[in-house]
Amino acid sequence: MATTKTPKSILKKSSSYPAAATTSSKEERDRGLALYHARLIQSRKDIELEILLSTETLIDYPLASSLYDASNPSPADAKAFKDFLRPFQPSDYDALIVERNINDHCGYTLCPKPRVRETGGGKYRVIGTRGRAKDFRVVEKEELEKWCSDACARRALYVRVQLSESPAWEREAAQSLIKIDLLDEPKSEDDSVAEELGQLHLSGEEEQEKKQNTANLALERGDQGRAAHHGLVDVKIQEKEVQRSAEPPSLDEDDLSGRLDTMHLTLEGHTPSFGSRRERRDDEEEADTDWKI
Amino acid sequence: MSSEEDRKIKQREAGDRETARLWRAWRTVHEMVRDRGYTLSDDEVNISLEDFKREYMGSDGSVSRANMKFSANPSDIMMKRYSNPPTDREPNPPPPDIGQIFVEFLNDTSVGIKQMRNFAQFLSSQNHHTGILVTSVNITPAALKIIPAVASETRIETFLETDLLVNITHHELVPTHVLLSKEEKTALLQRYRLKDTQLPRIQMGDPVARYLGLRRGQVVKIIRKSETAGRYASYRLCV
Ligand SMILES: [Zn+2]
Repeated sequence: MATTKTPKSILKKSSSYPAAATTSSKEERDRGLALYHARLIQSRKDIELEILLSTETLIDYPLASSLYDASNPSPADAKAFKDFLRPFQPSDYDALIVERNINDHCGYTLCPKPRVRETGGGKYRVIGTRGRAKDFRVVEKEELEKWCSDACARRALYVRVQLSESPAWEREAAQSLIKIDLLDEPKSEDDSVAEELGQLHLSGEEEQEKKQNTANLALERGDQGRAAHHGLVDVKIQEKEVQRSAEPPSLDEDDLSGRLDTMHLTLEGHTPSFGSRRERRDDEEEADTDWKI
Repeated sequence: MSSEEDRKIKQREAGDRETARLWRAWRTVHEMVRDRGYTLSDDEVNISLEDFKREYMGSDGSVSRANMKFSANPSDIMMKRYSNPPTDREPNPPPPDIGQIFVEFLNDTSVGIKQMRNFAQFLSSQNHHTGILVTSVNITPAALKIIPAVASETRIETFLETDLLVNITHHELVPTHVLLSKEEKTALLQRYRLKDTQLPRIQMGDPVARYLGLRRGQVVKIIRKSETAGRYASYRLCV
């Protein structure tokens, strides 16, 4: 009953892969690789310079007149502040505070007041002595001198915690769309109403999510991402052409008969042949000897 | 009353110490500028403490750093050392990338982006090729990033006063470093059949490299005294 059947390879036929499309020479590939890395470095440098120039600009903020203050910043300044901050990491933000302090401004970018100078020596200050015990703290004098007031310290740190820890050139697409909220948003009615109206139309919650999803997908496919304008691998998506109409798998009659004795060994469509075939051969040999005796 | 006098004496002593520090930094900076090849007279370099006080100390007994700025021009020898020899590919090479140097002492208690930007703008406006900013405090990291950002217009180097109190190249354990001209570098590499990257290296941030204002790709000859071999030379590539 042994049916002579050539063993079927479980490996996919290598010919089913299209020949690798690397017709370029080694030099060309090396050059591509070098260019790719040079571009990465360049984009990183560009972002670092952008952050430096933004920091320089933000030293002199707020630009608006004395009508506004930190609790009610001008809408234009607030918007510019948020836009400039987008590529910042917390460390860049700290550097901005230091630079503002050097120029005697309050560390919070949207505050027009000078920072305080504590009189008297000593490295530490005791605060919260009048309130409840939980308000009591000992802080470095230097820390207090960064701001014009406690409120501004809170405003500045409220912004800081929203900044992304990862450098801008490594961020995912969705992260580069981060929205920064202020503890004290602009209060002037006309502008803020208009702004909110605009947001209502353009970026409802769903819209926002959709945008993020699209951005994430684009990044995953390698279409986007600030650093990867030109990836190392040229990805071309080629749809598989379907020539016949799809049909469900079926148990073919003649196919079945040949496999019946080993079918119980089948694992996910694959039948290990080694053990079963040897056993079969042993059986046959034994039978032969029986007859001879 | 005695405590009042005490305070005054202490103040004067502190002032004297400050003056002496500034004088030493001043001397070192002048020696550095001259060692690089700029023209400075001996009188300018070897100023005595007394003369220094007479020149720069105000009536209140403190030295005004604002008055301590100076500039110097490269000597002919220096121009030659920085010149680009004509090659087959470039028969008319660009002129040497060197020019007037300007040195300023900054008194500010903190040095940030603004001060650095002002210094850069001043250098550009006065057509100074190189600027050295000597500060009494550390410069913020953000401000240091201004230097590469303006590198196409002007070269800025920064030093701390504390780093200039002694001239490190005068120390007996520091061997003599001599900058090679481009021609000398080419000859050296040909003689030993080397690529410049095969030479040992010296970092741009190395104190002696900073003292000499070395640039990436330049080669220095280092001459050491040896008890057994007299003098011997080695070469390093600045990276
Ligand atoms: Zn404030």
